[in-house]
Amino acid sequence: MPEMKFTQQQEMMRKAVRDFVEKEVKPVAPRLDAECHFPDEIFRKMGKLGFLGVFVPPEYGGAGMGLTECAIVLEELGRYAAGFAMAVMTHNLGVEAILTYGTEEQKKKYLPDLATGKKVSGLAVTEPGGGSDVAGQLSNAVHEDGKWVINGRKCFITNSSNAEVNVITARTGEDAKGRPAFSAFIVEKGTEGFSAGRDEDKVGLRGSHMGDLLMNNCRVGEEALLGGEGNGNRMALATISKIGRTGMAAIGVGILRACLADGVKFAKERIIYGKPLARLQAIQMEIAQIRIDHDAAKLLTYHAIGLKEAGAGGDAEVAIAKYYATEGAVRAAKRTMDLMGGYGVITEYPVGRYMRDALACIASGGTSHIMQIIIAGQALA
Amino acid sequence: MSGFHVVVLVKPVPDPGCYDRVEIDPATGVLARQGMPSVINPSDRHALEEALVLQERHGGRVTLVSMTPESSAETLREALAMGGDEAVILSDRAFAGSDSLATSRVLAAGIAKVAPFDLVLAGNESADGGTVHVPSQVGELLGVAHLANVLRLEVDPDGSVRARTRIENGYVEVVGALPMVLGVRREINTPRYTSLMGVMASQGKPIRVFGAEELGVDRSGVGMEGSNMRPGKLSRPSFRRKGERVKGDTDEAVARIVGILRAEGVLG
Amino acid sequence: MTGVPGRKGAIWIVAEQAAGKLAPVSLEILGQALRMGREAGGCEVAAVLIGKDTGGLAEELALFGADKVFLVDDPRFSPYQNDTHGAVLAKLVAREDPEVVLFGASACGEELAPTVAARLDTGLGAHCTNLDLKADGLLRMGVLGFGGRVHTEMFCPARRPQMASVKPGMFQPPPRAERKGTVVREDAAALLEGERIRLRAVKVVRVEPVGVPLEGAEVVVAGGFGIGGKEPWALLEDLARELSGAVGCTRPALDEGWPPGEHTMIGTSGKTVRPKVYLGFGISGSPHHTVGIKDAGVIVSVNSDPRAPVFESSDYCVVSDFRKIVPALIREIRKVKGGGLREPSPA
Repeated sequence: MPEMKFTQQQEMMRKAVRDFVEKEVKPVAPRLDAECHFPDEIFRKMGKLGFLGVFVPPEYGGAGMGLTECAIVLEELGRYAAGFAMAVMTHNLGVEAILTYGTEEQKKKYLPDLATGKKVSGLAVTEPGGGSDVAGQLSNAVHEDGKWVINGRKCFITNSSNAEVNVITARTGEDAKGRPAFSAFIVEKGTEGFSAGRDEDKVGLRGSHMGDLLMNNCRVGEEALLGGEGNGNRMALATISKIGRTGMAAIGVGILRACLADGVKFAKERIIYGKPLARLQAIQMEIAQIRIDHDAAKLLTYHAIGLKEAGAGGDAEVAIAKYYATEGAVRAAKRTMDLMGGYGVITEYPVGRYMRDALACIASGGTSHIMQIIIAGQALA
Repeated sequence: MSGFHVVVLVKPVPDPGCYDRVEIDPATGVLARQGMPSVINPSDRHALEEALVLQERHGGRVTLVSMTPESSAETLREALAMGGDEAVILSDRAFAGSDSLATSRVLAAGIAKVAPFDLVLAGNESADGGTVHVPSQVGELLGVAHLANVLRLEVDPDGSVRARTRIENGYVEVVGALPMVLGVRREINTPRYTSLMGVMASQGKPIRVFGAEELGVDRSGVGMEGSNMRPGKLSRPSFRRKGERVKGDTDEAVARIVGILRAEGVLG
Repeated sequence: MTGVPGRKGAIWIVAEQAAGKLAPVSLEILGQALRMGREAGGCEVAAVLIGKDTGGLAEELALFGADKVFLVDDPRFSPYQNDTHGAVLAKLVAREDPEVVLFGASACGEELAPTVAARLDTGLGAHCTNLDLKADGLLRMGVLGFGGRVHTEMFCPARRPQMASVKPGMFQPPPRAERKGTVVREDAAALLEGERIRLRAVKVVRVEPVGVPLEGAEVVVAGGFGIGGKEPWALLEDLARELSGAVGCTRPALDEGWPPGEHTMIGTSGKTVRPKVYLGFGISGSPHHTVGIKDAGVIVSVNSDPRAPVFESSDYCVVSDFRKIVPALIREIRKVKGGGLREPSPA
C-alpha cells in the first residue's frame, strides 16, 4: 500500500487556498461567529478563484478539479471558519446534484453562476417529520396542468434564506412496492409560494444561515424536475454521502488542526510553575491525543474521498471518516479548552468556537448514530 | 500592441516567516538555511501583478526570469500559477556567490536570451538581502533607461512610459519610452490571489533552464570570481539592553514611565 | 584581500539636496567620512553636489568640514535623474580616482549608488550600519540581512572606488569645522557631453507628512501588531501629541493600515530613529524593527506577553495591556504638565 501523499498540484492548490483564507477569512472569523454573518463578498471572491466550483468542469465555469481538491478548500476554511465552510459545503451539495443528475439545459442554466459564486445553492431534504428518517418526509408535489405544485416545510436547512438555487425533495407518488417515492426539484428563490422562514439562532457553525423553507402551493415547471421522477431520495443520499459527509469530515479535520495549532501555541507560551505548560506530561498527553485524532481523521477523510473519486462505493468509509473527524473534533476542542484553563473560557480565544462548531457538526450531514448504522450495515452484510 | 513582452525578475527566497530560525554555522561561519521553505520574494509578486495588468491591457507575453538553483523550480511554478506564460531559470555552479552586479550580469544575459523585450519589472527589495541594486544595474548593463522605487506606472500602446517614483515625503513623475527596466515598490498594487484555474494551468507552462554555457556569459564576470564585493565575518547582531522589569499595577507602572520621561527632560 | 599599499586616496560623499536644503543624511555621511579620514591619519574628504542653484549648499558642506566640494550646478540636473547624475558622477570619479565614495541611502541615493557602481564596475555595500577604513586601506562595511538577524562584514578588495550607501538616521551629523574647504565649480556641459539622457522628470510633488516627523523627534511613540485596530491606534497618537512626539510603527502594523503612512515605519526597510525616549506598545520585538531603534536613548516597552522578545532589547519592560497603560499615562502626563506634580513611586 503506497504512502498517502497529495500531488504537487494539490499542495500548490492548498497553498493558494490557505493564502486566501489567512488574508480574507481569518481576520473576520470572530465576527462571522459573533454575528452569524454569511460573508457574501468573500463568497464572491472565492467564486472568482474557482473555490466554489472545484469539481465543476471548465465548460460550466468550474475549475475542473476533483473531490480531494474540494475537500482541501473545506478543510482550509474549516480551520478558521467552520460555519462559513458549512455554507460552502451546502452550496457544493446543490452544485453536485445539478451536475450529476441535471439535463444539459439545467447544467447550462445554473452551474456557471454557482461555480463562479454569483449565486448560492443548497440542498433541502430534512423536515420536522424526517431528518435521519428520509422516508418520513411529508412535503409533496403534485402534477397539475403541466406544472408541479409543491407543498410542505423543510427545516434545519443551511443557506435557507440566501440560496438563490435550491434543490428540494418532495414525495411525488409511490414505487412499485407501494412505498413513498420522492423526486427532486430545482426551485429558485423568489418563486411564488416559496419562502424561507426566519433564520435560526445556532449554537455553532455560525457563519451560515439556517432555517425553514416553506412551500405553499409553490408552482414550478417541468424543467424544474431534477434527475427524473421517483429518484429524489436516492440522488439526495448519494449526493450527501459523496459531497456532504466528505465535506463535513474535511471541516472536522480543519477544526482538529485549529485545536492542535492553538493548543500547541498556548502550551509553549503559557508559563506555569516557572516553565512553559508544554513541559508538563499531562499536557503532553493531551497534545498527543489531539495530534492522533487529527492525523487519523485526515487519513480516513482523504482515503474515503479517494474511494469516492475512483467510482461508486465507499459509503461506509465516508461514514467512518465523517464520524471520526467530527467526534474527534469535539474531543480535541474539549482537550484544548481544558488545557487552556481560564483562557479557554473567554471568547477572545477561539477555542470555544471550535467546541461549538464541532458539536454542531455532529448533527450535520447525518448524525453519528446514523453513521454507525451505516458502518454496521456494511460490516454485518 | 502585438508582441508586447514583459520580463519579470523573480527570486525565490527563504520564507521571511522563518527568519528567526536562521543560524550561523559556528564551524564554517556560513549561513545554515536548512529546512526553510522557499517563497517568491514578496516584492516580486507586486512586479508580477503589474506585468499581468499590462498584459491584460496590451496583450503579449509575460516571462519570469530567475537566477536560482534548479531545485527552486517548484517555487517558480507557484509564481506561474499566479500568472505568466513561461519561466526561465538561470542556474549554474559558476553563479554561486554572486554579488548584486554579478547577479545583474547573469540576469541581463537571461533577459537577452528571451529578447526582444519591452519592459523588465522587478520587485524593489529582496527579503533576505534587502539591496535595491538589481533593477538599476540590470538597466545599466542592458543599456536601457531604468528607474527604481516606482509607485505607479502607465504604459501607452505607443511605448511611452509615465512612472511615479518615490522621494522622501513625495513623488516625482518621470517620462520615458520603452524599453525600460523598472523596480517597483509594494505600494504600486495589490497582487492577485492565485486561483485554482491558475494552479492547473501552471502545470503546462514551460520552465526552461539555462546554464553559463547557453547564456554565453563571461565566467570572469559572474559568481564569486566576478564579484567585486566579498563577504567577511558573519555574526548575530545583539541589541540587548538591561531589560529591567517595571513591577506593580497600572498606576505604579505609569508613575515609573512618567519618572523616566522627566529624567530624560522630555516632559515639558 | 588587498588594497593598494601606500595609497591614500580621497574619501568622497555624494551629497543630496531637496527643496533648497541639504538632505540630513548628507551631513551624516560627511561626518563618517571625516571620522574615517582622521582615523586614517589624514585623508582628503570631498563632497559632490549636483543640482541647480546649489552654490549656497556647497558652501555649507565646506563649512561642515569637507576639504573640497565639487559643485555641478545646472538646470539640467534638477530634478534628480539617475542618468544625468549618474553620468556626471561616473566621469568625476574616473577623473579624480577617489578611494571611497559614500552615498546616503535615500530614495534617490538607493538608485544612484548602484547605477554608478554598474557604470564603474565596482563594489557597493548597501545600507551599511557601520563603516571603518582599515590600515590596509580596505573599507570594512557592516551590513544587516535576513530582517536584521545576520550581520555581515563586506569588502571590495580589488576594484576602486570602494562604495557604500548608508541609511538616513544611522549616524549623527558632524559639528561645524574650524576651517572652510574650497568649492570647485565643474563644467556641467562638458560632463554631460556624449551622454544619452533617456528620462525626463516632469513633476515633483512634495507632501507634508501628517504629524511630527520621526527624524529628530525627541520622543517616539511606536505601535506594533498588538495594537489590534485603528481605534486603539488613536490612543498612541493621543499620547504622542501630549509629549509633542512622533508616532512610529512596525511593518505588521503598517500592513494592517492603522498608522497614517509608510513614512512612520521604523525598521530595516523603514526609518532609523534615535529619540531620547522611545515608548513601544504591542510590539513583539522582531529584529527588523529593533534595528531601527538600536541607538535610541531610553527604550520602554509595554507588551502583555511576558515572553515577548522585545523585552530583551528594552531598558524598561512593562508587562501589561497598552489599553490600560496608555490612557492612564496620558492622564498622568496632563496632570504633570498642568502643574500637578506627583512624586514618582520608588523604583
